[in-house]
Amino acid sequence: MAILCASTSTIFSSSERTSFGSLKKTIPSNQSSFLGFFPVAALSKPGSVRPTTLSFSKRDFRDIWNNTWYPKAKDHINTEKTWYVVDATDKILGRLASTISVHIRGKNLATYTPSVDMGAFVIVVNAEKVSVSGKKRTQKLYRRHSGRPGGMKVETFNQLQQRIPERIIEHAVRGMLPKGRLGRALFNHLKVYKGPDHPHDAQKPIELPIRDKRVQKQR
Amino acid sequence: MNKKEILKLAKGFRGRAKNCIRIARERVEKALQYSYRDRRNKKRDMRSLWIQSINAGTRQHGVNYGNFMHGLMKENIQLNRKVLSEISMHEPYSFKALVDISRNAFPGNKNVVLPTRKADVSINV
Repeated sequence: MAILCASTSTIFSSSERTSFGSLKKTIPSNQSSFLGFFPVAALSKPGSVRPTTLSFSKRDFRDIWNNTWYPKAKDHINTEKTWYVVDATDKILGRLASTISVHIRGKNLATYTPSVDMGAFVIVVNAEKVSVSGKKRTQKLYRRHSGRPGGMKVETFNQLQQRIPERIIEHAVRGMLPKGRLGRALFNHLKVYKGPDHPHDAQKPIELPIRDKRVQKQR
Repeated sequence: MNKKEILKLAKGFRGRAKNCIRIARERVEKALQYSYRDRRNKKRDMRSLWIQSINAGTRQHGVNYGNFMHGLMKENIQLNRKVLSEISMHEPYSFKALVDISRNAFPGNKNVVLPTRKADVSINV
């Protein structure tokens, strides 16, 4: 079985560069196989003309199989991250927030690193139409405290949805992201909007894949 | 002698802990205790990270980590989690081949009982 795997990996690594949209994202950039030798032509005598086609740097010989991989700066450039868009109409609040937070944190990627922001951006539209099951619409309470004695403010799900509907989804997702400096930075990757429009058409967002079968409210 | 060694170990510490020996001595002792403990913790943390990485990789193909490992054990594939996580990161097509092998060996638990929704349970009056 090990020999079969080795042979398949050599076959597949040569075809790694071909286009396979969803799988290509898991490959960190600039990975090339380890070459065990230096061509003698590149180390020629000083003063002679070096061939311009051969240029080797330390980066080309990184040994990925005997060192622990850690993402470099070029593996998490903000401008090259995926943007997802999801319509919150009639979706159960908690289940939707769970899927969103998984994608923002990057836990759906094989290259997940807890100390680095490898996740995607998520846009939520129609935030005022998100739903909850049971009697939560009138019974779920959102509390905040101003810091002064007697300064606790309580409002129900209904009232908050009338006032600031985006805050409901933001509150839910913030509770599911890690708390800390990285978590606060991740929270900025969530964009929630009230109506069906969003100003991020230039980022060409794609549909967020939700695997939860019970996220849509049954009518 | 000992002071010099301690201040050498205290490089990068915050505030007076890197300069003043009385404070540095405490902080360095604590740092050495942490490093002793964490040499053991690192093995646990890395394995947990490999498992999360394998989980993410297999869920992209519709299989979760538990079923995947069960299928591999059934086929007597003895690749460890470190290697599996590296394969899932750097060799995606080989990893898909492994997922297919595991799915053939163990297609999933057919006897799973889904939790019933409270709305579906009728109340006898």
